[in-house]
Amino acid sequence: MAIFPSKDWVEAVLEAAKKSEAYREAAKEWEGDFLCIVEGDEEFLRELGRKEVMQGFVSLMDMIPAQDRAKYKGTPTGKVFESLGIPVDVSIKDLNVDEVMNKAAKLSAEDIKGVSLYVWADFWHGAVRNMMPVAPGEHEDAAFKLSGVYSAWKLMVSGKQDTIRLIMSNKLQLQGNMSYMMKHMKAVVLLTKEVFAGVPID
Amino acid sequence: MYFEIDSKVRDDKGLRLLRNETHRFAEEVMRPAAKKLDRMPDPEQVIAKGSPYWNVLKEMKAMGYHRLFFHKDYGGLGLSAIEAHIILEELGWGSVGLATAIGVDQVPAGVASLFAMGDVTDNLVIPWAEDTEAKFHGCWGVTEPECGSDYIMATQESFLPYVRELHPGQVRADKSGDGWVINGPKASWLSSAPAATHVGLHVTLPPHDSLANGAFCIVPLDQKGVTKGKPIDKLGLRDDPQGDLVFDNVYIPDDYMIIRPPFYELRVGQILCLTSCFMGTIFTGLARAAFEEALEYSKNRTQGGKPICEHQSIKHKLYAMFEKVESSRYYTRKVMEHVWEKTYIEGTFDASSRHALSAQIYGKRSAFEVAHEAVQIFGGYGLTKDFLVEKLFRDARAGLIEDGTTEVLGLSAAYNIIEQYC
Repeated sequence: MAIFPSKDWVEAVLEAAKKSEAYREAAKEWEGDFLCIVEGDEEFLRELGRKEVMQGFVSLMDMIPAQDRAKYKGTPTGKVFESLGIPVDVSIKDLNVDEVMNKAAKLSAEDIKGVSLYVWADFWHGAVRNMMPVAPGEHEDAAFKLSGVYSAWKLMVSGKQDTIRLIMSNKLQLQGNMSYMMKHMKAVVLLTKEVFAGVPID
Repeated sequence: MYFEIDSKVRDDKGLRLLRNETHRFAEEVMRPAAKKLDRMPDPEQVIAKGSPYWNVLKEMKAMGYHRLFFHKDYGGLGLSAIEAHIILEELGWGSVGLATAIGVDQVPAGVASLFAMGDVTDNLVIPWAEDTEAKFHGCWGVTEPECGSDYIMATQESFLPYVRELHPGQVRADKSGDGWVINGPKASWLSSAPAATHVGLHVTLPPHDSLANGAFCIVPLDQKGVTKGKPIDKLGLRDDPQGDLVFDNVYIPDDYMIIRPPFYELRVGQILCLTSCFMGTIFTGLARAAFEEALEYSKNRTQGGKPICEHQSIKHKLYAMFEKVESSRYYTRKVMEHVWEKTYIEGTFDASSRHALSAQIYGKRSAFEVAHEAVQIFGGYGLTKDFLVEKLFRDARAGLIEDGTTEVLGLSAAYNIIEQYC
């Protein structure tokens, strides 16, 4: 079981992609990176009340080099970091998660409005060449951008709901070359079914 | 009953029972009702309270035929392509008009079952699937007075570079608060519209510059601002009422906007693959019905001292009709298996539209050619209302126009063939 989103989850997804022969075969002609934008919502706020989720969140943020993480300064996400006592420009490895949680308990739905986490994933010829959290403004030129609130992302990465239905219901918003995506739908479907859903999340 | 050449189907007891039971329904329920409806002088009688139309619709819903195309997780029957094909051929054998009625019935909620989630699935799709009283009845709002079959071209990916040469569409949806407001007219050729409770509606979105900049939504037809036209008086398919719909500031919630950009043209193209398989198969049923009528008649009708089937000219005709029926069945079935796999099994929605369109055209054209020859074999009797072939011929002729003219369907397939054949 992995926490979404967390460093463990990113690593498990990379591993699941390597293991899935069906995905590799279906995506062997796919060339295109994704910028995934996870927006904070009430479910995210509730989930941050769980220590393991907060730890996962911190571990994910810690994957971003401190100098890049500094780009969060002044953004709604940066302001939440500030109120949680999470420094954006120095290492957060030794952060006291209990203290952060105490502060998180005081956050309201209003505070979390506009909070966004960015994960960049580079899909290439059946492999996931790279997947990592990034700072705002990075990889803006990704071939595809997929954005939506945390609860919608969780439905997708858990495999409880298929990506296309989430997009068509406007729960997730997709930008990019639709025609290209339609020609590689099997790869998209298997990415959800085999790779994301192959990593059970808690 | 015809000899099934596919041993996997022939030797499967379940499929045999399914075919026999659906055939019984088509023969005992659909055909008598279709005959009565066809002969009603005023088309408004077809949708009047107590009309056989409603009884058949209820019986079809009780059999579950209204949810053949629903996703299995949202009220669908979870049938295989072959099961669906067997059912549809028999329904078409019974009446392509009534088969069309149960086909368009599933467009609004069936499409939502494939692509929507949330309130619309809980409050509309599931109750629709569970309905056996015909409380819900759907129709499909595509064609418009100033752009007939154009929507078919607009949903063909290979045609998109030229789509702005077409009319930009008359029915428009504009954002209004949390929902949408719809304005404009749909043409008189909407199957089942005069009887429907909901329409699966194609609209254009701002800036309303192209049919491809469109969306598919569900509109409850009891909404303020909806005007239903009277059923039109027509040559064929008289057992399925057709009429126009006009929308004047009709509001729908955002949840009812089922397919929107950036997926519209590509997803709707895939819906057309499903409906094309449907049409090709029910018209195969009509072709078979006409062939069987002609074969039987030719064995009993005597001319020149012997049954007419013993005359060589009739033998030629019977053979050619048989060939068309059989090739139509196995081609439409194969294409349906392909479309089914892409839609319901893999969920990739990337079926080959040229094959689906050709299945529709082939089925309809076979039906027309076979019905035409059937009338010829009947001679003068074939022109009278005493024999079923007269109705079958009129229905088959209407089929060459319904659900897209065969010319436009073929043109759309041609764009796909040229760009994607190899």
